[in-house]
Amino acid sequence: MANVTIDNVIKRYGSVQVMHGVSVDIEDGEFVVLVGPSGCGKSTLLRMLAGLEEISDGTISIGDRVVNDVPPKERDIAMVFQSYALYPHKTVYDNIGFPLKMAKRPKAEIDEQVTKAAGILDLTKYLKRYPKELSGGQRQRVAMGRAIVRDPQVFLFDEPLSNLDAKLRVTMRIEIKELHQRLGTTIVYVTHDQIEAMTMADKIVVMRDGKVEQIGSPLDLYDNPNNTFVASFIGSPSMNFVHGKIATEAGQKIFLSDSGMKLPLPPTEAQEGRAVTYGVRPEHIQIGDSGVPMEVVVVEPTGSETQIFAKSGKDVIDALVKERISARPQSTLGFVINPDDVHLFDRASEQRI
Amino acid sequence: MQNAIQELGWFLLAPTLTILFFFGVLPFFYVVYVSFHSWNPFAVDPNMVFNGADNFRKIVFDPAFLNSVSVTVLFVLFAVISELIVGYLLAQAFMRDFPGKAIFRTIHTLPLIMAPIIVGSVWKLMTTPSIGIIPHYLDEWFGITMNIGTSAPAAFATIVIMDIWHWTPLVTLTLIAALVSLPPDPFEQAQIDGANKRQIFWHITLPMIAPAVVATVFIRLMDALRTVDEVWMLTGGGPGSATRFVGVHIFKEVFPKTNYGYGSTISVIVLYLTIVVCWLLYVTMLAPRSKKD
Ligand SMILES: Nc1ncnc2c1ncn2[C@@H]1O[C@H](COP(=O)(O)OP(=O)(O)OP(=O)(O)O)[C@@H](O)[C@H]1O
Ligand SMILES: [Mg+2]
Repeated sequence: MANVTIDNVIKRYGSVQVMHGVSVDIEDGEFVVLVGPSGCGKSTLLRMLAGLEEISDGTISIGDRVVNDVPPKERDIAMVFQSYALYPHKTVYDNIGFPLKMAKRPKAEIDEQVTKAAGILDLTKYLKRYPKELSGGQRQRVAMGRAIVRDPQVFLFDEPLSNLDAKLRVTMRIEIKELHQRLGTTIVYVTHDQIEAMTMADKIVVMRDGKVEQIGSPLDLYDNPNNTFVASFIGSPSMNFVHGKIATEAGQKIFLSDSGMKLPLPPTEAQEGRAVTYGVRPEHIQIGDSGVPMEVVVVEPTGSETQIFAKSGKDVIDALVKERISARPQSTLGFVINPDDVHLFDRASEQRI
Repeated sequence: MQNAIQELGWFLLAPTLTILFFFGVLPFFYVVYVSFHSWNPFAVDPNMVFNGADNFRKIVFDPAFLNSVSVTVLFVLFAVISELIVGYLLAQAFMRDFPGKAIFRTIHTLPLIMAPIIVGSVWKLMTTPSIGIIPHYLDEWFGITMNIGTSAPAAFATIVIMDIWHWTPLVTLTLIAALVSLPPDPFEQAQIDGANKRQIFWHITLPMIAPAVVATVFIRLMDALRTVDEVWMLTGGGPGSATRFVGVHIFKEVFPKTNYGYGSTISVIVLYLTIVVCWLLYVTMLAPRSKKD
């Protein structure tokens, strides 16, 4: 167990810089999730933590030790690769037991650990098989098994559940959380999946184009996104954005969209006429007669919830409500927005106001 | 339709098959046939006389033959193992970047395109006492006298080194091809799993390139077992019978002595031994893997 400090890390491939000064403090035993669009540098950061990729500038420390020049095998980390990286010529049993074998642990201990991991991961039936005889999900579980038989300082997971079906993904998610609670080992976890990030993380790091956009607890990011990028990335379905400016009506500040829709504002310092982006999450919109009239485009009932896409002029907004609503397209519904749930961003800089 | 295509296929194959039949299959069975006869066209009785398994019986107790087998096996062991080790080290070196790599790689493959007979002549030129560059410098720098005409170990060692020089590039090339095609992930994973360089070699690299290694060993083994021309040029099998490999032995049995029957028998036995060795190699190294990949 150890804390991890990533300090102003820069990565260049030749003359191309892909990481521009990333700093993250990870406390001992913390579960940190890295999210961000494809190509933003999540895997690269993880590989630098593992020691597989040279650090062009800045420092990474595990515990109190700067590990920039420490080879992977001495960093005491376990990693699950995005591509599984199984040993094709070894059976599932030997794949999972490999780290223990390299550490020259006694056979009996290896056997016990491998059997236990296989039980947790539902792989007992497949121990004698070779990787090419497994499905993608099974391979991914073997890679997980190889990581959990060890007791490393830090676990690194690169999208370890991306190839599992929905049900197994939920099971494995719980399994990983349990593992974390039981061992208390620091985990750095990369994912594309909203729900994984929100449910598992102690701390989420949102990245874009090799930069950190925001770091915070899941609810913190959900409630107070720093900018439109984080706001759109965290939460599902994604936040509604409407472009417009601040206006005054009857002595009160309101939001006036480019196509003339008027929406309520929370108390704000922003001056009249300032160009802003108005953000509100679909799940914070209610349907009611007192709301802003919107023309229904599509209604999507899922059983537990109903998602309604509606427009006013050029502005499209969707709402997610608990009630079952059967509105026909082109009919009009009132969208009630509580001003406290509104996020305002500067239109040019996209930063929160 | 299917039939027409099949007919066309056979038709297109016909010339090759014909050639193969007349120059491969037919002579092979003819040699097998001759091996059961006593036949020396220049002897008192020049006729081919069937003598059952006499030739085979004789061969088992023929010291000249047994000697040729043991020097051949020794030669093959030394040569092929050295070629594998040197070839692997060179392949690893060529996987890295260093100045002059392209030129060095080209030069290093040049021996491959030389005919064995030329290789033999060149090495003869280099090793003949008082002419050759090698004995000259061995004497001048280390005070060692080297004479492959009189010293059996020197002759044997020279042939092994010549073979290494000639054939290591082949091993290097196949191993480079094998190494280049390896996926990088298992190697990164192994580092993370705490394996050191030696463990990575034995547990990851070697098993993953094993098919290429075995194929190379097959090729080199079969080739080395029937080495004739280079040795013939360099030592003619001497001094004494120190470098009289089976190929050379058969040659001497058949041509100067015109013992066609007995020569054929040796050929058949050598072929049989080669097949057995390759089969053993295949069974021990590749067959358990065929399940895996
Ligand atoms: N070897 C390399 N040479 C040059 N550029 C590279 C190399 N490896 C990665 N990159 C670049 O670095 C950036 C980050 O890549 P990385 O694999 O870390 O993305 P990622 O966030 O893991 O994406 P994904 O979610 O798709 O896995 C990408 O723009 C990629 O093109
Ligand atoms: Mg990635």
